[in-house]
Amino acid sequence: MAEIVAVTALSHAPGLTGWPDRASARERQNLFDGFNEVGRIVRAAKPDVIIGIANDHLLNFPLSNVPDFCVGTAAHWKGPAEWFRDWLNVPPYALPGHAEVARTLVREGGRNGINFAFSDELMFDDNWSVPLKFLTPDYDVPLVPIHMNCIVPPLPGPERCLEVGRTIARIVRDSMPARLRVAIMATGGLSHDPGGPKYFDVDEEFDRWFLALFEDGDPARVVREATIERMMAAGDGGTTELLAWIAALGAAEGRRARTICYEPSRALRCGMGAMVWDMGPGP
Amino acid sequence: MGIRDVDRTLPSNRLVFEVRRDMAKFQRFRGDPESVMAEYGLSEAERQAWRTQDIRKLAELGLHPYFLPQVSRLIEGGAYNHNDSPAARLYARKLLAD
Repeated sequence: MAEIVAVTALSHAPGLTGWPDRASARERQNLFDGFNEVGRIVRAAKPDVIIGIANDHLLNFPLSNVPDFCVGTAAHWKGPAEWFRDWLNVPPYALPGHAEVARTLVREGGRNGINFAFSDELMFDDNWSVPLKFLTPDYDVPLVPIHMNCIVPPLPGPERCLEVGRTIARIVRDSMPARLRVAIMATGGLSHDPGGPKYFDVDEEFDRWFLALFEDGDPARVVREATIERMMAAGDGGTTELLAWIAALGAAEGRRARTICYEPSRALRCGMGAMVWDMGPGP
Repeated sequence: MGIRDVDRTLPSNRLVFEVRRDMAKFQRFRGDPESVMAEYGLSEAERQAWRTQDIRKLAELGLHPYFLPQVSRLIEGGAYNHNDSPAARLYARKLLAD
């Protein structure tokens, strides 16, 4: 029986690596400290593999064919995709994948109501390049990326994302090798609006409400209240990336989350935040 | 206009998708946009919007919102894309100005 040893959810906006100097010194320091703290927590849990859940920014799947969830099955990954390198200001990196874990997710997902697509040719942009720089800066922990559809309606809704997260946790527990230590890393959000009228704004009130909702930790309330409509009202073009956080909530199986940092960063054009779940004995 | 107003079949959606994935194609688009637009079968309205950097028009035609800031970066470059960068200013000027 494998074990989920860490669960985190955090923003991945490119400004954090691409133009952090444009944020105020206080805001920048709070975010760097917070993201580095998440990295310390994740690395202290000594994961053998990270299962990542994040929005595909229309980089891997054309609008003709967008899967709800696609598991990356490659043995090796590299990033950032070339066109995004100068934007992200992240040097080229390579890291291991974990084909066995990925294939187990696909196989057991199919037996448990999730029709995972899979691919060993995923390109990475800010979705992984930004968080990995803080969480595993040595790129030494294997990653199984799950690219999900957060921006091409109809989207997998909160209830579905919660269910997918719970199923991932069950697959880890029941179908992965004994003593394998698994971390879950959801990335995306908080409020932001690429392509919309709020591109240069964030919705601090929504962000703080969302973080408090997650700290409260009642999955039924999250599904009821963190609707796609409410997310879209906080920024149509990107806030629904928070659906990945709901999958993380499902994977945490009822444990409590705490906010590590939050900044309503107009300089980075995104509500920037990070949470971790206390993965002690279950409730 | 928002993610629910996209025309998924709009040829420009395919064009933006592919030029970001392929640097050779991106360079070709930079150097000879007309031939790349023809290759993807863009309508005259789309081509005119690209020629005039009319990001709002591309949105109205059904380009996915997520691609709109990327259009500004395809045109002005993506490095150091802060709120006063050339790409961000182009976005503001073309999409947000009344």
